[in-house]
Amino acid sequence: MNYFPDEVIEHVFNFVTSHKDRNSISLVCKSWFKIERYSRQNVFIGNCYSISPERLLGRFPCFKSLTLKGKPHFADFNLVPHGWGGFVQPWIEALARSRVGLEELRLKRMVVTDESLELLSRSFVNFKSLVLVSCEGFSTDGLASIASNCRYLQDLDLQENEIDDHRGQWLSCFPETSTTLVTLNFACLEGETNLVALERLVARSPNLRSLKLNRAVPLDALARLMVCAPQIVELGVGSYEDEQDSESCLKLQAAIKKCTSLRSLSGFLEAAPHCLSAFNPVCHNLTSLNLSYAAEIHGSHLIWLIEHCKKLQRLWILDSIGDKGLEVVASTCKELQELRVFPTDLHGGGNTAVTEDGLVAISAGCPKLHSILYFCQQMTNAALITVAKNCPNFIRFRLCILEPHKPDHVTSQPLDEGFGAIVQACKNLKRLSVSGLLTDQVFLYIGMFATRLEMLSIAFAGDTDKGMLYVLNGCKKMRKLEIRDSPFGDTALLADVNKYGAMRSLWMSSCEVTLGGCKRLAQKAPWLNVEIINENDNNRMEENGYEGRQKVDKLYLYRTVVGTRVDAPPFVWIL
Amino acid sequence: MEKDGLELEITELRLGLPGRDVTEKIMKKRGFTEMIMTSSGSNSEQCENGVVSSGVDVEKVNDSPAAKTQVVGWPPVCSYRRKNSCKEMLSTKVGLGYVKVSMDGVPYLRKMDLGSSQGYDDLAFALDKLFGFHGIGVALKDGDNCEYVTIYEDKDGDWMLAGDVPWGMFTESCKRLRIMKRSDATGFGLQPRGVDE
Repeated sequence: MNYFPDEVIEHVFNFVTSHKDRNSISLVCKSWFKIERYSRQNVFIGNCYSISPERLLGRFPCFKSLTLKGKPHFADFNLVPHGWGGFVQPWIEALARSRVGLEELRLKRMVVTDESLELLSRSFVNFKSLVLVSCEGFSTDGLASIASNCRYLQDLDLQENEIDDHRGQWLSCFPETSTTLVTLNFACLEGETNLVALERLVARSPNLRSLKLNRAVPLDALARLMVCAPQIVELGVGSYEDEQDSESCLKLQAAIKKCTSLRSLSGFLEAAPHCLSAFNPVCHNLTSLNLSYAAEIHGSHLIWLIEHCKKLQRLWILDSIGDKGLEVVASTCKELQELRVFPTDLHGGGNTAVTEDGLVAISAGCPKLHSILYFCQQMTNAALITVAKNCPNFIRFRLCILEPHKPDHVTSQPLDEGFGAIVQACKNLKRLSVSGLLTDQVFLYIGMFATRLEMLSIAFAGDTDKGMLYVLNGCKKMRKLEIRDSPFGDTALLADVNKYGAMRSLWMSSCEVTLGGCKRLAQKAPWLNVEIINENDNNRMEENGYEGRQKVDKLYLYRTVVGTRVDAPPFVWIL
Repeated sequence: MEKDGLELEITELRLGLPGRDVTEKIMKKRGFTEMIMTSSGSNSEQCENGVVSSGVDVEKVNDSPAAKTQVVGWPPVCSYRRKNSCKEMLSTKVGLGYVKVSMDGVPYLRKMDLGSSQGYDDLAFALDKLFGFHGIGVALKDGDNCEYVTIYEDKDGDWMLAGDVPWGMFTESCKRLRIMKRSDATGFGLQPRGVDE
């Protein structure tokens, strides 16, 4: 390859987009390292504290797209206290000072402020794409800056963020000359929306492919929007409770008929079932359907809808669909690749909506299924063994039995054999979440068979340190390990600290690790940040002379090349 | 990793069918109830108006370990989804004090729990928060001086001006709330006020 001039090699590299592959390329030789470095367009940083913006810019001076992730995954479930970290401001400041021509910024679980958004909007002339997932700390004022200043904005995609809605006029901040929008997703905004500004924006955006509205866009406005945007591919609708307006429903149906490119539907918070019928004309083309917030749509309406969506590849649904409903999915949706069944009742009481039967039916009926997230009340080993036989292609398998420690409800045995069958059959399994009554045995199976596993979530499982050791020793590709309420302690934690260098992070909360153990770990592995999160004590652990035997409530450790972070709040103690 | 008081094994609460072998392995596992006792719950995200226990009452959240279902972060549903699904669940329990609230000019309905307010002042504050509009509260307290009036539909289907009757009587009879422009209210057919303030 070195017979070719650099430009040719660079041209070849341009066809390699996966960051893993590009990382591999850069290891081949010095020449390739240099060429790859200057031509890297997309940078992915899975943990914002593993590296600093300065080092990033030093390594890749010319990138256009940056993906950053902040808080650990368990922050989604309120296990990480407010103020822990993940601030994007220093990153934007550093990038603004440099000459990098940033075009895309994708953030997940980070703290974003209006100040950050303002700085972002003013610093990068060609900025095109902002994707914020599960972020917090900003308001619609920040969105107004983005709308006003990013002249070539294509994507504004806000997914499940906590946004302070000032009910301002951020939508009218898009200048009349702004016609480049491709994605507009503001479904997570709580407040009122300027419908006139929205309609005008949509009308002057011929490239708009994805439009996801918030709850404040009523049926008649939606009908008018669809008339302006028949080219739409993804649509998220608002909420239409109490909309007895059949005229608007008819208008909507007429407009939807013209949306021949529509492939994805979502939203429907508090939607009355009759408005769903407006989408009948497009069901047969749908590949993605998210009704997981539509608690009012169930029973026969839901079944009817699904029976007509024969091309579905992705379905997100509530457990009110029931086993019978899942049987309909199994017999209709032969193209299904990803299924998520969410719990309607978060407190474990009441109706047993879906059981192991639904899961088995899906596994039998959907040959292309590779990703599943399934919340249910009960499970059996027999069902899991059958699922494993039917579906050896799982890449992601997440099963959440709502009651912790619940055994096989028929045999009262732990569910070790069931999950064992899954990991043994699914050779490509990359992500696994286990639940129910589990002993160390299940981890023996996971260590033995789940050779490609990259992410494992454990809760209320295992008996001794052996469990965790099986996993650490067996799963050579492990990147993210998160454990809560399981009896794993210092022995497992300290067995081989070098393993953590190959992983992105380890989370352990309400386990048996002690302060002494964590201190020894930090000593042995200075290239790790070992964080003790102790929100109740506000970092007085050390002053109070806590003994080494004191159990640590929350431990979060991750590899880093930049040492201890400086923005940790008082309740985080970095050893 | 020693666990104190092995003698307590008989009294330890476990989930699972009776008659299971009691082995040392099981005792090293943290009991479900023990874990609730030690989890602080101080950061648990609460639903808009409190967590509904599986019983009948809509209770305000407290940190009492007696609330068996309150394990922090369990089930593992992300907080955004929790907030939105909580509303859905509670919407089926309208009879428990949840009433629909509409506001003129706003194209969507909200629901709120009358039971979580202690009086008209509380209600005013809650309504302000619900719609992000400071002025509803004023309407309730200082009837004549503001753009909006708050009216409610009572058990008999009549529309009444909110704020006249004692709070207890109001929560019992209120079926839904509406925040209406004062200019539209005249001629709406409100029942005559009881006692002038």
